[in-house]
Amino acid sequence: MDIIDSISQFAIQEPALFALIIGIIGAAVISGVVNVGAMLVIWGERKVLSDFCNRFGPNRVGGRWGILQLGADAIKLFTKEDIIPGDADKGVYVWAPIVASMATMLVAAAIPFGALHIGGKDYPLVVANMDISAFYVEAALSLMAIAVFMAGYSSNNKYSILGAFRGIARMIAYEVPMGVCVIAVAVMAHSLNLVEIVQSQTLWYAFAQPLGFAIFVIALITDLGRIPFDQSEAEEEIISGYNTEYSGIRWGLLYFQEYNNALLGSILLSLLFLGGWQGPIIPIPVLDIISPLIWLFMKVVIVLWCLIWVRASLFRLRIDQVTDLGWKWMLPLSLLNLGWAVVVGSYFA
Amino acid sequence: MGISDVIPVPVAIDDEIEKWTIFGQPVAEVWFTTTEKIHQIIEMGPIKNIFNWGRKNSVYFLMQPMGCCGVEMFVFGAAPYDSDRFGCIPRNTPRQTDVMIMSGYITRKYLPVFKNLWEEMPEPKWCIAIGECAISGGPFYDSYNIIQNTADYFPIDVFIPGCPPRPEQFLEGLINLQEKIKQRKDKRDY
Amino acid sequence: MTNASEVLSSIQSAFPGAVLDSRVESDRRLWATIDSKKILDVCKHLTNKLNFDHYSGSAGVDWIARNEMEVVEIMASHGAHKVVAMLKVKTPRENPSVKSLTGLYWNANWYEREIWEMFGINFEGHPELYPLLLSDQLIGSWPWRKDFKGYPDLTTGERAVAITTPEGYTEYRFPPTPAEVEAGTVVAERPKYPTFREREEREIKSDSEMIMHLGPQHAMVPGPFLLDVLVEGERVKKGFLDVGYIHKGIEKIMENRTWLQGIVYTDRMCYVASLSNNECYCGAVEKILGLEVPERAQYIRVILEELSRIQSHLIGTGEFLTLVAGVGYAPWQYMIIDRERIISLIESVTGARLTHTFVRFGGVRNDLPDDFAEKCKTTLPYIKSRVNEFIELFAQDAIYQKRMENVGVLSAEDAKRVGIAGPALRASGVAYDMRVEDPILVYPDLDFKVIVGTKGDCADRVDCRLREILESIHIIEQCLDRIPAGPIKPEAKIPKKVPAGEAYYRVEDPRGEMGMYVISDGGDKPYRVKVRGPFYATLQTLPPLLEGVYIADVVAIAGSMDGCPSEADR
Repeated sequence: MDIIDSISQFAIQEPALFALIIGIIGAAVISGVVNVGAMLVIWGERKVLSDFCNRFGPNRVGGRWGILQLGADAIKLFTKEDIIPGDADKGVYVWAPIVASMATMLVAAAIPFGALHIGGKDYPLVVANMDISAFYVEAALSLMAIAVFMAGYSSNNKYSILGAFRGIARMIAYEVPMGVCVIAVAVMAHSLNLVEIVQSQTLWYAFAQPLGFAIFVIALITDLGRIPFDQSEAEEEIISGYNTEYSGIRWGLLYFQEYNNALLGSILLSLLFLGGWQGPIIPIPVLDIISPLIWLFMKVVIVLWCLIWVRASLFRLRIDQVTDLGWKWMLPLSLLNLGWAVVVGSYFA
Repeated sequence: MGISDVIPVPVAIDDEIEKWTIFGQPVAEVWFTTTEKIHQIIEMGPIKNIFNWGRKNSVYFLMQPMGCCGVEMFVFGAAPYDSDRFGCIPRNTPRQTDVMIMSGYITRKYLPVFKNLWEEMPEPKWCIAIGECAISGGPFYDSYNIIQNTADYFPIDVFIPGCPPRPEQFLEGLINLQEKIKQRKDKRDY
Repeated sequence: MTNASEVLSSIQSAFPGAVLDSRVESDRRLWATIDSKKILDVCKHLTNKLNFDHYSGSAGVDWIARNEMEVVEIMASHGAHKVVAMLKVKTPRENPSVKSLTGLYWNANWYEREIWEMFGINFEGHPELYPLLLSDQLIGSWPWRKDFKGYPDLTTGERAVAITTPEGYTEYRFPPTPAEVEAGTVVAERPKYPTFREREEREIKSDSEMIMHLGPQHAMVPGPFLLDVLVEGERVKKGFLDVGYIHKGIEKIMENRTWLQGIVYTDRMCYVASLSNNECYCGAVEKILGLEVPERAQYIRVILEELSRIQSHLIGTGEFLTLVAGVGYAPWQYMIIDRERIISLIESVTGARLTHTFVRFGGVRNDLPDDFAEKCKTTLPYIKSRVNEFIELFAQDAIYQKRMENVGVLSAEDAKRVGIAGPALRASGVAYDMRVEDPILVYPDLDFKVIVGTKGDCADRVDCRLREILESIHIIEQCLDRIPAGPIKPEAKIPKKVPAGEAYYRVEDPRGEMGMYVISDGGDKPYRVKVRGPFYATLQTLPPLLEGVYIADVVAIAGSMDGCPSEADR
């Protein structure tokens, strides 16, 4: 108890310093968790996609499941030659992957990764529990599009520039319906705080507003740049899109952030629409403490699995069809959903 | 009073850097000796093995079908033979690949393009020549348009004979290449 | 029904004195030497009056002993009648020149360019007579002429030298060719393929436009060819093609090999359809030899060619799927897995996966293994059910329909005019199949439908290809029921030397009409082998289809053509 006492005393005496130290520790933990998580997502995608395609996937390193495959990829990318094309805009080129990782870390800072159930109460695990976190997360998630544009524009490559423009066009078309869906959720929850949104979900919002859920899923897939909305790096059309000129660890970072985003996006989806960490408490000692974490983890895994399923079974849309869908269907429907949320939300209130 | 008076803008950064010192020695010299030291440590120690392990198990190849072997390369990357088991997946841009699979005849018209692609790949990189045509011209050895001496233009690591070789031979060649990467000792790329 | 002698008499009555020499080989083949001044009029007459609306290609022949060159125009009809007219035009060997048919037939362009760069025959009135298959340096050595010395010189060897251009790019140049050495300097006024910079300067009109390379190394191309597209934003305004990146000179090489060795090269022309290519070459030689193929061998050939068609369509559709859906799309992998089953069936007979050299003059190399029919009976129904599933899957996929419908539409008239071949032609509603038009082997006895589409868009082309697989399975099942016992080779020994003569033989390749024009001068080697490949014809039609589409549609259209550039370049 001495240690806890001294820590609390220190917190009272030096509140600013204490907050800084806690923040740094939290940031380190979060970035570790997110990055390891993203590595597992990449590995999982390769394995699950292999299953869909009737093949094995990596199985030579790290046992029969090939768990160390990502380690090998990372080591190789770290030790590759670092090429910056001669005609590239060097500053922007170098900064694009860094901006991309900053974007994901900004998201990770405000997103709750679950909760601990201690003494009949849920303690959410979140670094920055801000009041508008739902909106902030949604906005920060779209910062990735900026990084994509930086990478594509600075590469001085025709495929890259096309990929960059496609990324921006897509982002603008889908960010609005996505935001409106978040507002609809906030209207029902009477809060923009993700923790409070989760706590207010006695009925999952996926059931309370199915239209909003559908729109949010489509917009999320667009935001993540996955098939059928992966026009910004459509490999068969524009080689590798915005990251055509990137090699080595710079490409590794960009590639990695996509999966970081996929992880964070599916956490956001589970929090907003699938009841977050809510679920029956497992009545076993120790397990009851982390049972909210287990629930959230299961939901996230299912969401990610569905994302891979979509990739294995859908065709890629053309860019004009993507923007058409965004502006002509998603936006009006999301407004309709907002109206629905207002009516139903006020009725229940 | 302008900004440039407050913050001196270095006109030629390279010249400036040469004047900088650290511990009484020029920065550039310290930088180079340190990196050289690091390289030596990597070369001597077990880190080299870790690097080689990573490179060996993550060989991305350039998707570039050229001849008959190109079709077999397609199958080699697809489900029936599944090169992904060895961590070997196709990429479309040379910037993100480690091995170039020379899957067919190289013509006089294609050689410049091919050489460009090879030079766009980042080091360390490897080259596999697949099929008789890529090795020596094969059945087209006396054609007016085919390059016979591909080994003069590209440092080929693995030759896979056959016309065309079966996908199993592709896998065999890949495993041989992995063995080669694992035992790599030269210091050029660290 | 028009037959060859009627066609001949019609030409003779319309243009007295235009036909210098003629031979009616059968009802379906007409050989005629036409006065070079009247070739345009004769072709006009054939097209307008006699329904010869299919310009099937042209071949150059160098008759060095007679000191003259010949251009053979191959004319046929899209279904109106079944005559193939081979019209020869002669020209002296010094300054050879004939009239260009590009004004009459749009697709004559590439065939004439090829003859020009290979033989040096000038075509009067050709709009763009610059290199097609060869690199600029080889133009002027006229490699397909009989007095071509050979290049590279194998004794000295050759090396490309790196040269830095004034713009800072590294280029690889070869030492001057023998022709250039003889001429003393590099001939400057020779037409050259426009460089990228020249094309940019000429074509780009505003700042919002750019020219983008799709190829030679690109996920879209099934083998190296270069498709430059002029784009404004996402819209393609114009497409330019450059082929010849894998031009191997097979036709020239085959002149230097014995008749039997030639089969090996037909394998490597189009490696996913090598059995059809074998058949085409062997059929032409059999025609000259006058060989009868034993019935069992005919059935074996049909079975294997149809199996080869199935695997070719499966891999073609699989590649197409990767282009429009990404490599993560699972069904293309299923197609490749199914294809492996067909491959193993073929392998059990021929012993090779791709290059078989199985069809021989007058028969086949070996008989079917004992358990072949049994294996077929387990595999084919499975493939049938899978293909039905694929057809259903694509018909129900909303995104697929949205992407593919009304994209790359080719109307029946346009398809006939541009000379596109195979499933791509039939998807436009033109029932033109060599198995019906120019029946060979036992095809006349078999019951099968010619699959036609309705609209001629990308979805139709893929659908046609998949439904053709079902027809092929139907054909194989019939063959397995009917196949008689008997010899698989002719009893008489096949002579090493083939008597002098010429033949044009057509088969239905998986990609369409493949024809081979084989000339023998009585020696142990062919005097000339001209390959009229289906993808050569199809590839040429690509640029006009691309005008006004999106970049994403470019790969869809190119993919739906099921390319095999190796056969186009030869």
